[in-house]
Amino acid sequence: MMMIKNLLFAGGAVLVGASSAHAGGFQVYLPSQQSIGMGGVGVGLSMEQAAQFMNPGAMAMLRQNGVQLGVSATFARLAFRPAAGGPQRQLENTTVTPFNVYASFGPKEGKFRAGISIYTPYGSTLKYKNGWEGRFALTEITLRAIYVQPTVSYAITDQLSVGAGLMILAAGSVNLQRAIALPSAEGSIELDGKTKTGFGVNAGIFFKPSDKLSVGLSYRSKIDATVEDGDVTVVNPTAALQSRFVGNKFKATLPLPATFNVGVGIMPTDKLTIGFDVNFTQWSEYRALRFDFTKDGQPAQVGTGTFSESKRAYEDALTFRLGGQYKPSDKLALRLGAGYDMSPVKDGYVTPETPDNNRLIGTAGVGYNITENFGVDASFMFQAILKRTQTEDDLLNNGTTDRVAGTYRTNISIPGIGLRYNF
Amino acid sequence: MNLNFRRSAPFLALLGLALGGCQPDLEDDPKSSAGQADFTTYIAVGNSLTAGFGDNGLYREGQLKSYPNFLAQQFRTVGGGDFVQPLFTEAQSNGSGYLSLTGFTATGTPITTLVTTNRAVRGGTAAAPLFTKFTDPINNLAVPGIRMSDILTAGYGSVQGNPYFERITPDATPGQTYLQRVQATVAALKPTFFTEWLGNNDVLGFATAGGAASSLTPVATFTTNTNLVLDALTAGGAKGLVATIPDVTGIPFFTTVGPGFRATLAANNVPGVVALTGAAPGGATSGNRKQIATADIRDAAGSGRQLFTLTSAPFLPLLGRPTGAPWRSFVPRAALATYLSAYGIDTLQAFGATPANPIPSTFILDDVEQGQVQTATTAFNAALTAAANQRNLAVFDANIFFRSVATSGFVTNGVPNTASFISGNLFSLDGVHPTPRGYAVIANEMIKAINAKYGAAVPGLDPTAYRGVRFPQ
Repeated sequence: MMMIKNLLFAGGAVLVGASSAHAGGFQVYLPSQQSIGMGGVGVGLSMEQAAQFMNPGAMAMLRQNGVQLGVSATFARLAFRPAAGGPQRQLENTTVTPFNVYASFGPKEGKFRAGISIYTPYGSTLKYKNGWEGRFALTEITLRAIYVQPTVSYAITDQLSVGAGLMILAAGSVNLQRAIALPSAEGSIELDGKTKTGFGVNAGIFFKPSDKLSVGLSYRSKIDATVEDGDVTVVNPTAALQSRFVGNKFKATLPLPATFNVGVGIMPTDKLTIGFDVNFTQWSEYRALRFDFTKDGQPAQVGTGTFSESKRAYEDALTFRLGGQYKPSDKLALRLGAGYDMSPVKDGYVTPETPDNNRLIGTAGVGYNITENFGVDASFMFQAILKRTQTEDDLLNNGTTDRVAGTYRTNISIPGIGLRYNF
Repeated sequence: MNLNFRRSAPFLALLGLALGGCQPDLEDDPKSSAGQADFTTYIAVGNSLTAGFGDNGLYREGQLKSYPNFLAQQFRTVGGGDFVQPLFTEAQSNGSGYLSLTGFTATGTPITTLVTTNRAVRGGTAAAPLFTKFTDPINNLAVPGIRMSDILTAGYGSVQGNPYFERITPDATPGQTYLQRVQATVAALKPTFFTEWLGNNDVLGFATAGGAASSLTPVATFTTNTNLVLDALTAGGAKGLVATIPDVTGIPFFTTVGPGFRATLAANNVPGVVALTGAAPGGATSGNRKQIATADIRDAAGSGRQLFTLTSAPFLPLLGRPTGAPWRSFVPRAALATYLSAYGIDTLQAFGATPANPIPSTFILDDVEQGQVQTATTAFNAALTAAANQRNLAVFDANIFFRSVATSGFVTNGVPNTASFISGNLFSLDGVHPTPRGYAVIANEMIKAINAKYGAAVPGLDPTAYRGVRFPQ
């Protein structure tokens, strides 16, 4: 266990939280470098240590102890054009590095296997360039959620195994910044807070009726990311209006929704593995984003009232993934995948913090075993968030005029590299 | 392990650079275009609204934030050229002088102060100043105060005329009418596009004087003159836009004071007040006194009919006291005795509580006067729309637009704006003229009408980039 602890520490020190939105809404679906190369599949496979995230039930079928870790770098490039026309707006280029760490141990040929993982299933980092039309809705967001998950898995038979993990929202933070409209000047407001520790369950079942076929089911429960005592900082309020900016603390809860996952694995030959996954994310939990403002524990005004509420009304959403791995030799693995990710965000509800739409995903990866125990994986994922136009009428009809009308289009490139050591 | 991560970092950074090419591009989606319009040379004809007037004055900042200047700026993205305005110089940037918000009283009433430094006054009298002249050719021919009925008036640009027209009238042609100036400009500049927004003052002067002064222009005159000015503007084949006249009863000048006054009266169980109505002289029994029930004063919810002007605000607290202050505020000192005698007013009586000392007509736009204004506005707008349609021009229906602003406000880019005084962001401190943000909103609405009419894609502005009422910082 000592080694794992060191690894975790190294990961935490080198890497930074979560990432730009990468799977409908602010979900970040980057299980591992191997899985990413294959379009993110893995619920119906038992290939690697990341099974404990994708389907804890599959972990017991792993035959080797192992430690693996991976890191991705996300480069999001966005274009926004206001509904009225005019020059397009872009993001400041930020790079975020979601990471994953997995380790599992079990007796050789035993039925039990225990593991621990750290991953970042939700997050968002976007920083809009100065002066963009939506600045009164958002100028910058950093949302991070780091989950730690101890897991056990048990092989009931040679063909059927189950597993469950305790998901712990171990570290999370939210930082939202936007401009505030004042009569003759612009101020800005920053909301910054750390989430309370939250708990959930990740459970799965895995069935492998033959060498050529496997199926899996998994469920990850919702965790509410709650900020109890966040800081409110208002910059440059107009002197005559200072009485409107009294609150200095905020409370807010953001649901990190539950997901149901189904996967199938097909192994036509020893060299070829194909996976197909469907993820169902219960985004309908995310109805509104509400901040309650206080000063000295009492409700206090910030802006127009003692709270602000912005409609989200997300819909449950599906993601389809298809990927494969081909091993021309014992040392080399080539991977390819694709996905289609349906947006939970309805017309009229698109916000700058998740300028979302359906996404087309393409991935590629390569793995190389340097020694019998030690391997390296490189992955690349490209996501095209399709063009999304939101009109003034969409906003007026839905009572969502707290955001901006216009057209968004985003591309995200995510290279990544991972290391694994099996023994 | 840690070392490996550090080694991979430069590799990732390099890869990131290579991925910069993935920037999506919406610049030409849709592509800006002039459509069937040609914005090469644009001229604007109008009154104070077209000049950029605000805060009860015309000053350089307002001129720079005038809607024609905004339009010209946007037209430039689709082939528009230079747009010259008769700007006040930097040294005389305060132009005519203007109202500035300097603070609030303890009860939250705004305190405004007249800015009189760095004005562009070259002579005349305090009541009728003359401004520094600007006689270069100009594209913005706006003249604050001008009515549609004034465009044929010879000498309107003389030193006895309108000082804003006098300011831009060439010294060689001091008797030139406004119509002649428009005709001369069309001949000289050969505009390809124009906007025309005249006629507001043909109702506004009467309305803001509470029906006690000025007059409503006869519809026949209005119609004739509208056709004359549009004929002049289209003489060279220019395309253009005509704007209609907003409903003046929705502007803060009329909606700000009444609700509070009504609430005060109700709280003190005062059943009503006595006011003078119309302009006809006569004593207490001559029929020009009007009883106004407290519940008949229009409140914020729109119940009640009688509207109190912004200018009445300082005097309404004097209700029930003997006072001559309200009368002295608008009647010249020399004429006061004659005026009071003509209207049978005794300033030793309780103000507003008795027919002997009623609330002046000029402070109230009552239901009868509102009806007159409404009828005239409807007729003028019918004339403007017909004249525009006849010439196949774009129409910005400012009447419909401002009506919707008055009832439901106007949200843009996440920022709510309303027709409320000061807090609404759209109307300046005079309660009549827009703020720079209000003018930007108007420019956007005009662009929408132009785009629709001419199949153009002229980009709009971000109104939130421009200020509402300037607060002391």
